[in-house]
Amino acid sequence: MSDLAKEKAARLLKKRASVSSLGSHEVKAKETAGRTKDSLSTVSYMDEPGHHDDNLRPAVQMENTYQMGPYRRFPVITVNDILKDVLASYLQEEKYEADLCRQMTKTISEVIKGRVKELMVPRYKIIVLISIGQLGDQNVRMGSRCLWDSSNDTFSSHTFKNSSLFAVANVYAVYFE
Amino acid sequence: MEEYSGDEVSFNSDEASVSVKECIENIIGGVDYNQNKVNQWTASIVEHSLTQLVKQGRPFKFIVNCAIMQKSGAGLHTANSCYWDTATDGSCTVRWENRTMYCVVSVFAVAVTL
Repeated sequence: MSDLAKEKAARLLKKRASVSSLGSHEVKAKETAGRTKDSLSTVSYMDEPGHHDDNLRPAVQMENTYQMGPYRRFPVITVNDILKDVLASYLQEEKYEADLCRQMTKTISEVIKGRVKELMVPRYKIIVLISIGQLGDQNVRMGSRCLWDSSNDTFSSHTFKNSSLFAVANVYAVYFE
Repeated sequence: MEEYSGDEVSFNSDEASVSVKECIENIIGGVDYNQNKVNQWTASIVEHSLTQLVKQGRPFKFIVNCAIMQKSGAGLHTANSCYWDTATDGSCTVRWENRTMYCVVSVFAVAVTL
């Protein structure tokens, strides 16, 4: 068992070592073989450093509960209201500024996650995705596709716009069998 | 880059990001932003990424999110916050750009107990 723990610890260290920041939009001309000489791709996964301390245990084996489905479904309408409320209260009067919005996305996603957790819907895992962008002459298209159990899993989404920015909030709720 | 082959139950972000990057390249690599086509691009990118992820045969539920934005000097920030089991679940985000547009794809994987 300790080998497993060691592997996990090593992998976590590797993850932390490759953290790169979101939000940089420099265009670098990159010569690669073939047709894609003007495209640049970067991979980034951000991990909050504090949350992995209790992660050195192996995956927990669960016993049968013989429960066929969730006793309480995920309340989509309530979550819609939460999203509307949070986005409006945080962003109503704000103007788009790079530093402010960078911090704001992280704060808002944590706040929404906290409020959804307060609803205490048992056995649901929550994913909150926030995008804040500046209003300009550009078009943006966002799409999302999910491979899950559609009878139990669901999502909630809300868009907010003011005179200088737009914000999109998505909450996905996945039932844990 | 070290490869970890042990522990089937945990999400491998590196493998996922490689397949997603390939999907993006195949669909919008080398083309310019086109308002008429962008709807079909986002749909194809998410569908193909999802198919590639499913081919890995791991016991996960997936959520794939894709945003394509025209380059016009405006900024975009994305953040996510997740309440799940950090030992088994994971996510990965791939940012891609070319001369005329940005593409950000986020993949979230939630483990299924079999």
